[in-house]
Amino acid sequence: MKKRYWRCFVCNDIHYGVAPPELCPTCKILHAYVEISADEARRILGGGPGAAFAPEEFRAAIERFAAGNEFQVNPDREHVDLLIRGVFENEKSHGLKFCPCRLRTKDWEEDLKIVCPCNFTVHETYKGVDGGRCWCGLFVRRR
Amino acid sequence: MADLLMFHGQECPFCRKMMPLVERLERETSIRFDRREVWHDEANAELMRSYAEAIASKCGKQLRVPTFVNPETRDVLCGSVEYEKLRDWAVKPS
Repeated sequence: MKKRYWRCFVCNDIHYGVAPPELCPTCKILHAYVEISADEARRILGGGPGAAFAPEEFRAAIERFAAGNEFQVNPDREHVDLLIRGVFENEKSHGLKFCPCRLRTKDWEEDLKIVCPCNFTVHETYKGVDGGRCWCGLFVRRR
Repeated sequence: MADLLMFHGQECPFCRKMMPLVERLERETSIRFDRREVWHDEANAELMRSYAEAIASKCGKQLRVPTFVNPETRDVLCGSVEYEKLRDWAVKPS
């Protein structure tokens, strides 16, 4: 199923998925989404706040993300610092926050799978592994 | 025997951890590694992609680093490993 872009006609929330949410999670209006083009979505998303996301903001974002999950950001600060530097280098040179411990294939759909944070919970380094981690070790299972 | 390929990323912590092991193996044996950084050098990235099928089958269907490739046999060792495992893989006959 192909993912498409959707815009909430009330608050301009943007959704990327095979179908729009029934309820807009931002303004709570029912049946508010209309399909838009990828270019339109990019223009809307590119013009707002947060265009320049600093490394420390990214670190805070992944800490908040991990807080509600069974994993945490790796307490090894040096390890995480290097990874975040790589993520930002890759964003600058290659357009997205690609994992520094994998290489993009140049297939767009495949490469979206290595944008950090990736869905590492299905990977063999994490799933069912005591002390599991994502491939690069940015996230580790809580003990 | 041709040099073994080591694909690595400049900002990949596990790649950095493997570097001293690779250097030790070179000191202790006649094995040599051709180190290829893949995020800051597109030619190296393309070389890694040319081994995509062999690498993906051993690396969770992805192009992960660090990855070691024997260019003659296309045998692959994926990920950060202990010295003994790297050595045993590297000395395997072609």
